[in-house]
Amino acid sequence: MWQFPVSDQVPQISGNRQACGNRFDKQQRTFIQMRTVLKVVDNSGAKKVMCIQALKGKKGARLGDTIIASVKEAMPNGKVKKGKVVYGVVVRAAMQRGRCDGSEVKFDDNAVVLVDKQGQPIGTRVFGPVPHELRQKKHVKILTLAEHIA
Amino acid sequence: MRLEKCWFCSSTVYPGHGIQFVRNDAKIFRFCRSKCHKNFKMKRNPRKVKWTKAYRRLHGKDMTQDSTFEFERKRNRPERYDRNLAENTLKAIKKIDKIISDRASDHIKNRLKTGKVQRQKEARKQLELGIHLVKAPLALAQDSSLCLPKIKVNVSQAQTEENQPMED
Repeated sequence: MWQFPVSDQVPQISGNRQACGNRFDKQQRTFIQMRTVLKVVDNSGAKKVMCIQALKGKKGARLGDTIIASVKEAMPNGKVKKGKVVYGVVVRAAMQRGRCDGSEVKFDDNAVVLVDKQGQPIGTRVFGPVPHELRQKKHVKILTLAEHIA
Repeated sequence: MRLEKCWFCSSTVYPGHGIQFVRNDAKIFRFCRSKCHKNFKMKRNPRKVKWTKAYRRLHGKDMTQDSTFEFERKRNRPERYDRNLAENTLKAIKKIDKIISDRASDHIKNRLKTGKVQRQKEARKQLELGIHLVKAPLALAQDSSLCLPKIKVNVSQAQTEENQPMED
């Protein structure tokens, strides 16, 4: 008599595959918080910074927020050196941010532009696309330097 | 406010819907819903995914060339507001929509016509061959209601001889 296949007869391989699939499409992008490494997209000299504090926001910083970061990797001759504590404006975030028309934007990576305490960028060029949320946050200078506004 | 097209399935994205993904080379991908977004993340090619408009247009399932597509061309110059123009445009949109959907359904109907004819032919043949499954041939011969009645036509020889010289 034909019987339904019993669940414990299912080979282990398919179980592993399913676990891998779940892990892939449940990747949740979250806030930029302490210990988050971000890419620097201006020519201030730094290459990678690590966030040490997100100003504003209990859970962390999002697109358009300012953070305090420590320079982890820098170009040999640049305005900022390794180990310096700097302020930065998040210009690209992998976590989606809601726009005022109801849609959501997300970028490919987490990127930051180094600024001084007053909010003026240290570098003179900005690479890659930037969101126009910066206009509302009064970071107009970064927008003028940007090569593409998303 | 602008109605965008979903990058994956080519349906319209209305304001308040969907996700916009900006790649680092500044290319913007708009998705109408998470289904399209997830397929994109899986790196699926929309031209190979059967339910997308890209596949259907590529494989000739939907119409590709029509003069009504000119109306949906993207225009970047904003028009000065004119009440009459706006009113006429709204009326025209309704009409054009109807025309497009009619033409699209005609296209699909034409495409499916050959299949329908083929199926009817096959069905007729099958009926002729397998009529013994429906009704026993002996019963068919005996029961006159199932066959078309045979009409007896009396042809008199004298009439045909008269008609022949008239045809010449």
